[in-house]
Amino acid sequence: MKKPLALLLALSMSLSLAACGGGGTTESKAPEESKAADPAPAQSQAAEPSGEKVTINVIAAQYGQNTNAWYDDFVKEFNDTYPDINLVLEVVSWADIYTVVNTRIANGNAPDVLNIDVFADYQADDLLVPIKEVVSDETYAKLYPAFLEESNVDGTIWAIPDLASARAMYYNKDILDAAGVTEIPTTWDELKAACEKIKAYDANIYPWGVDMTTDEGQACFAYYTWNNGGGFTDADGNWILNCDANVEAVEYAIDLVNSGLTNTDPANDNRYTLQDMFGAGQLAMMIGPNSIPTYVEANGYSVNYGFGAIPTNGGNPSVSAGVMDRFMCFKKDGRTDAEVEAIKTFFDFFYEDERYNEWVLMEGFLPATEAGGEALAAADPAQAPWVDIIGSCKFYPVAKAEWADVKQGVIDVEQQALLGGDVRELLDNLQAEIAG
Amino acid sequence: MSKPDTMTLNKKPLSLKKVVLRLLLYFVVLDVCVITLYPYFAMFCTALKSRSEIFSANGTVFPIQPLWSNFIDIWKKAPMARYMLNSLIIAGGSTVIAMVCGIPAAYALSRMRFKGQTAFLGFIIVSQMFAPVVLLIGIYSVMMRLGLTDSLLGLILINAAFNQAFTVWLLRGTFMSISAEMEQAATIDGCSRVQAMLKVLLPVAAPGIVTTLIFIFINAWNEYTVALTLISSNTLKPMTVGINIFNGYDMIEWQYLFASSIFAIVPVVILFMCIEKNLVSGLASGGVKG
Amino acid sequence: MKRSEQTAPAQGEQKKLTGKQRFRRVEPYIWIAPSVILMAVFILVPIFFVFRLSMSHVTKAGLIKDFAGFENFAKVLKTPAFGMILKNTLVWTVVVVVLSTVLGFMLALVLNNKFHGRKIARAIVVFPWATTLVIQASTWKFIIDTDFGTLNTLLLRLGIIKQAVNWTPTPEAYFGWEMACGIFVTIPFVTFCVLSGLQSIDASLYEAATVDGASYFQKLFHITLPLVRPSLTVSTVLNIIYVFNSFPIVWVITKGDPANRTDTLVTYLYKLAFYRGRQGEAAAVSVLGFLILLVCASVYMVYTLRKGDES
Repeated sequence: MKKPLALLLALSMSLSLAACGGGGTTESKAPEESKAADPAPAQSQAAEPSGEKVTINVIAAQYGQNTNAWYDDFVKEFNDTYPDINLVLEVVSWADIYTVVNTRIANGNAPDVLNIDVFADYQADDLLVPIKEVVSDETYAKLYPAFLEESNVDGTIWAIPDLASARAMYYNKDILDAAGVTEIPTTWDELKAACEKIKAYDANIYPWGVDMTTDEGQACFAYYTWNNGGGFTDADGNWILNCDANVEAVEYAIDLVNSGLTNTDPANDNRYTLQDMFGAGQLAMMIGPNSIPTYVEANGYSVNYGFGAIPTNGGNPSVSAGVMDRFMCFKKDGRTDAEVEAIKTFFDFFYEDERYNEWVLMEGFLPATEAGGEALAAADPAQAPWVDIIGSCKFYPVAKAEWADVKQGVIDVEQQALLGGDVRELLDNLQAEIAG
Repeated sequence: MSKPDTMTLNKKPLSLKKVVLRLLLYFVVLDVCVITLYPYFAMFCTALKSRSEIFSANGTVFPIQPLWSNFIDIWKKAPMARYMLNSLIIAGGSTVIAMVCGIPAAYALSRMRFKGQTAFLGFIIVSQMFAPVVLLIGIYSVMMRLGLTDSLLGLILINAAFNQAFTVWLLRGTFMSISAEMEQAATIDGCSRVQAMLKVLLPVAAPGIVTTLIFIFINAWNEYTVALTLISSNTLKPMTVGINIFNGYDMIEWQYLFASSIFAIVPVVILFMCIEKNLVSGLASGGVKG
Repeated sequence: MKRSEQTAPAQGEQKKLTGKQRFRRVEPYIWIAPSVILMAVFILVPIFFVFRLSMSHVTKAGLIKDFAGFENFAKVLKTPAFGMILKNTLVWTVVVVVLSTVLGFMLALVLNNKFHGRKIARAIVVFPWATTLVIQASTWKFIIDTDFGTLNTLLLRLGIIKQAVNWTPTPEAYFGWEMACGIFVTIPFVTFCVLSGLQSIDASLYEAATVDGASYFQKLFHITLPLVRPSLTVSTVLNIIYVFNSFPIVWVITKGDPANRTDTLVTYLYKLAFYRGRQGEAAAVSVLGFLILLVCASVYMVYTLRKGDES
């Protein structure tokens, strides 16, 4: 019995020695090593590294399980097309991207280009390059101006949108019919009435989905406050977290939960759980992103559903919540003109109409370019309404420096309220903490 | 249920008390196994389901139509073999280095007296008191200076370092429980200290060494946070980080995540089965073996 | 080392002695050097970094600005939820360590018997340990889910329950499940530490005790326990530290929700550092946790080491 052990040890020792190469210059050795061992690695270099080659490092977010494969092809194609540029692209899952990126940045090892949702903290530390300096005019002009404005701090645009998504209310037609809900609810009162009918029809079905988790509880806050005339900030950009409209909105959502009209555990059921329950017919209505049709189809659910505007209160117009992610470029000492050109080339390549549309479509999101929007509407009539919705929806105030605290703050307020806390008091405290 | 009972089992006629104890023993073992295996049973059944079946309102225990293809798909969707190999290299390499550094230290602590002995023991414990999550930024900074980011060697060294505490402490205890007389005899016979340790002490200390080996191997095999931040090349990722591909932005692919996790257990269990025998051998228990 | 011993006799008598003595003095340090260097470079340096971070103003993107004294500590201690988080951490550590040690010890006694299928049983017990914590915790979350959890499905199918049970109606219930998961994954570690200790016990001790008419429990407390104490001490001290700093279980199952009710220090500081960009405060939390551990571990170690020396 000693033999297998010795064998294993010997094997692992030789393997680790092989993997470590001669030690020392592992940085440069690792990619070569991996190329030798794996004929089709994710980041293999196209050609022998030569002296003049310009390297650019990109970290991209992983949107779905096809993201990796798509970027593998992207990198290969890019490096083949531009032999002078060595594109090194790393795909990181959303669950870990903040950990990975912040660790690198704290060590002064930021990538050249980063794809993530937030940018204000990096901008505040003077880490970013004004994005126009590294994006060609041609590519810049493709993007929706309203989207670009979302990355405006002090009159400068610091990031460009890579894609967007918008939210709407989804409902299970069969359940609503069976429960005798004939009109799709458009106001809070109608919504509550519909929920009660559904509950009376079948107590095992959750009428309404609510997500107040650490993942995305701020979206819940936005759905109700924006549709009650409140929100995170006023027109001038001042925080108004404890305004009356917000208190009323959060109290309404909490009331739905306490009346037993929602999923049982809003502090732990995140949107993905809700989507699956919706697909399985356990949940009658929920607010979800435009990707739900793709999601339902891809996973073999056979739910008969429709979508409409998010219900509002007090005659306010229905507001859809938009979510947008971005590309930004980090400052680097001694970045050469050739490197700037390489980054521009990267963006040009990425936003090339056909390639970009293919990517957005694959990820199930909405394009951030006008050409992309037109292409999407033409290709899929079902998606056409979304192109209009995305043009008119509100976004989180991520350009403000306090956003991270506000985001976690409103989630905390919701969860405290679920446990019986007083909404007004909680929001007053949060406002005092944020706005001083 | 203690050792003497089992030893004398075959020699004396079975009394009723013994039979009851035996049955009780099997009952307890069976219960433990069932409870332990239940999560794996759930994982396995889930790995064979389609997503719509997993979340079906009318849930099933066993999959209606087992999708064995899920177990094959994961090898196509991700370079699973590569991840597995990386994990083996990291876990194997960490084990070797942790042992090579740890055994001499444990030996010195158990066989020699020197100033700072207690301080060293304390230092080892203190080194464990920060969660790796907290140390991430510092670790990355060290690795950057050594040029070891995005390399398996870096991960091997980190894992070896994090496992020093257990290695040194447990082996020190094991060595201390073994009398030094035989080594002294060997030294008189002309062995050097190193030879005496290798030839006389280590074989006797096998159970402790095997426990330590398993411990380091498993810990390194399961390490996640440091690997996540240190490794950026897809081809250098270990299993734990690699299977994150099934943990996407819009959904967790439970069936693939669980299918790949089941594969990830296999090497550890095989390793354990291979060296488990050593847990009961060794000289100290030699007399017990019937 | 060997060379110096061999070349020494060639020199004069007096010189040989001093050379040997000198070597004897430094020899232990040579033996421990690799271990010390390994830990110093890869753990001690990062620890110093944490201390520095905790005493600095750190920007949201993680850049260290100027010296902040104890400002970060003050901010953390003033947080209303901090007391609750601290209490959670202590409850979590004590419950998981005590129960897993007791159960793990009992399991080791059981597995030390000879019986058919022991090899398989031992291999099965390794399973929870051989699974990454992230996956283990995901599985538990999946099992206890009210809506599609496998536990409800199983019990429903077996006819034990008629209606899906909400296993996690309160934050306390969630925390209870998290502790159960923690115990589940910690037991194998204790079991194998104790098992390895049990191997070194001489069977003749038991035989002598049996002849003297000692009961099972007398043997357990007077022979087994004292002899496995060294391995039990190691496993307990390390367990306290590992469990105190455990991150994946709570993170995967609840992320500390709702409203910090299931947070421990580590999940809390993770959110501070990576969700709210407050790395200085996060470092301060970890230093506070370190101080608590330091006190507990030194008390325990002084106590057990002294006891060990006496016996």
